[in-house]
Amino acid sequence: MTAPFRSAGLLKEIMAGYYAKGEEAKARGIPVAWVTAVFPVEIIYAAGLFPYYPENFGALAAARKVAEKLSAAAEARGYYADLCGYARCGLGDAYAKEHPVGEILKPDLVLACNTQCGSLQKWFEGAGRFYRAPYFLLDAPFLEGASTALIKRYFVDQIEEMIDFIEVYTDRQFDFDRLGEVLFLANEACRLWNEILDTAALSPAPFGFFDACFHMAPIVTLRGTQAAVEYYRELKKELEERVEKKVYAVPGERFKLYWDHIPVWPRLRWFSDLFARHGALVAVSQYTHSWAHRFDLERPLESLAENYTEAFVNRGFEVRVQLKIDLMMRYGVDGFVLFSNRSCKPTSFGLYDKRRIISERTGLPGIVFEADMADQRYFAEEQIGEKFRVFFDHLKTRTGKV
Amino acid sequence: MQGREILAEFARILSDPASVIRDDAVREPVKIIGHLMADVPEELVHAAGAHPFGIVLYDGTDLNRADAHLQTWACSPVRCAFGMALTGKLDFLDGLIVPVICDTTRTVYTLWKKVRPFNFTEAFLLPRQLYRPSARNYLLGEMGRLKARLEQFTDRRITARDLYRSIRLYNRNRALLRCLYDFHVRHPEVLGNRSVYDVIRASFLIPKEVHSDLVARLISALEQEAAGLKKKKEKPRVRVFVSGKLGEPPVLMDVLDQAGAVCVGDDLCTGSRYIAGDAAENGDPYVALADRQLDRLPAAFFANKQDRRDFMIKKVRETKANGVIFLHLKFCEPENYDYPYLEESLRAAGIPALRLETEVGNVSLGQIRTRVGAFVEMLEEGGGR
Ligand code: SF4
Ligand code: SF4
Repeated sequence: MTAPFRSAGLLKEIMAGYYAKGEEAKARGIPVAWVTAVFPVEIIYAAGLFPYYPENFGALAAARKVAEKLSAAAEARGYYADLCGYARCGLGDAYAKEHPVGEILKPDLVLACNTQCGSLQKWFEGAGRFYRAPYFLLDAPFLEGASTALIKRYFVDQIEEMIDFIEVYTDRQFDFDRLGEVLFLANEACRLWNEILDTAALSPAPFGFFDACFHMAPIVTLRGTQAAVEYYRELKKELEERVEKKVYAVPGERFKLYWDHIPVWPRLRWFSDLFARHGALVAVSQYTHSWAHRFDLERPLESLAENYTEAFVNRGFEVRVQLKIDLMMRYGVDGFVLFSNRSCKPTSFGLYDKRRIISERTGLPGIVFEADMADQRYFAEEQIGEKFRVFFDHLKTRTGKV
Repeated sequence: MQGREILAEFARILSDPASVIRDDAVREPVKIIGHLMADVPEELVHAAGAHPFGIVLYDGTDLNRADAHLQTWACSPVRCAFGMALTGKLDFLDGLIVPVICDTTRTVYTLWKKVRPFNFTEAFLLPRQLYRPSARNYLLGEMGRLKARLEQFTDRRITARDLYRSIRLYNRNRALLRCLYDFHVRHPEVLGNRSVYDVIRASFLIPKEVHSDLVARLISALEQEAAGLKKKKEKPRVRVFVSGKLGEPPVLMDVLDQAGAVCVGDDLCTGSRYIAGDAAENGDPYVALADRQLDRLPAAFFANKQDRRDFMIKKVRETKANGVIFLHLKFCEPENYDYPYLEESLRAAGIPALRLETEVGNVSLGQIRTRVGAFVEMLEEGGGR
């Protein structure tokens, strides 16, 4: 990974501030609302509730290599080890006696959107039962091609139902002016975040996918707040300085690669070292590009509906292939790596054919490898190492960059 | 005809449904549109002049045939159906409708369409929350969309009259199957678990007219048989409620028969979930179909109107079931997420339960037999009460 960022201190500070606010919310009786990563959290911020992201909890447990421990508590209750690792960590924490990464923040409301997956829909429903918190599902129908008026209408209707649900719960009127401010800030943060991601297209680049994984917490959790905007302004400034001072993400960068989709959290280091050894920068992934929202302040609810139903994971095969290829072209990659993630069926099913088709269309070499983003029981180190060795050999001969 | 002969006819249908449809199609050539489980509005397909064919007969030998396209950790019914399409076993279909109810159907639908399309390959995008007003409006719109696509494909307008005719035909079939199921519960010694679920499965395959006719005759034949039986002092069978996505593999029902258990209720997509509830025969037919869908038995893949836990406990009490058997398909996420809560509330209600992990075309029967046997024995002794 890149030399430590100065902004890392600020990141730590604002994330600590966020978690402190969560505790404070509990103490002061501000409702804690569990939400999913691809969810119109802008509504939650505008309503003055505290949004909490259990997926982050899963990612943290995975990165600290304790996912198996939490999962064991869920497995003992009858959840199988082949369910999404985040869900197993979250559900496991509810039953576990030990809390190696601290306890999950207990919800007062459980709000799920199934744009990403059905796992969240079911995990949150179960959590609502466990914590006796009201559950609300925002249902995003699958979009094979372009979205339709019917689907947009359905989603807007549901956002309105959700606003009713929150108004009843809080006994307060929803503030649409405040929503406008939140959307404005979310736009700002998304714009900055994407400009930051784009620096990975420079050759050599000061920033790559593994850095993005490190710096993404505010765009996930705090978009819609001033803190996220300030943070990404700082980070962007720092990156501009780095370009000037010629500090690069991978010293001696020779290749750029596309990665799909999420990192293997307990092996983040393992992978970033592997790529760095070969002078390869993982420049881009659909995952970190998920937060590229543009909200139209003139039509807030419609615009929220569009942004949160049209995420890549909810699109048809052909659209998803095209989105991947677009990113590969924009960042000028030399090859691609597709991660068949046992935890995540919606991002993994179809990858075998996508690999073939992308190579046919772009001429780029690519591989699919199998593992789990959280659970090391599914990590066959030798096999994976061998697969990458062959891949890099191929890449070197093809490009002549040795 | 004797009940036995009619059951043999059902067995023939299940062993080669394509030939039965072909025979029928000779008389009146129609397009055959397959659909995956569950909840595709067959009435609409029928009203378009096509024959809806539920893909419920899984050929286990094709389970691995899709491995080059799909990970082995996808659920077996989808792997197997996709595999069957790749080996050409579904070539008699003109079209396919995939209900998008979970991540597997959502992703495999467009993958399948890419790799092995039919002339007509459509998704049915059901609402997955069923309990708020928005769901009904959206479902009506989605049915309108599917209707338009079907009309395009069959080149025929679906009139309200057509749709009503189909609704009545389907309602009658469901009513007959409910009647047959009821008979089975009263007389498991005459009509066992395997037979009644086989008859329900056959209903997914062949024209409803033909099926209803056979079921009507079967009921009267069996009623006669039952009336003629001497009241033997038979040991009462243990009553079980079966829960899960599919009654797969079908041989599990034989295992229950042999263990001396009778299924008195279920929430299977290839069982009661298919035959319960009718569509209204007046008013707007689309509203009738939508309301039937929203009021179906609660399922794991939906945020239902009725809590599945309450439903199950109520059903167990109503049917006087002694216990519950979960048929859990490996890699079926929705079912797995529900299990701990269902199990917990059953336990709190003092209802014993057994979970069997199954797969289409791939189960170790020996172990299952032992576990079912032990469970039934425990229930016989009044266990868990
Ligand atoms: S990793 Fe995949 S399955 Fe798990 S919560 Fe995220 S999107 Fe859902
Ligand atoms: S609901 Fe379960 S069995 Fe049905 S397609 Fe989805 S994962 Fe497979």
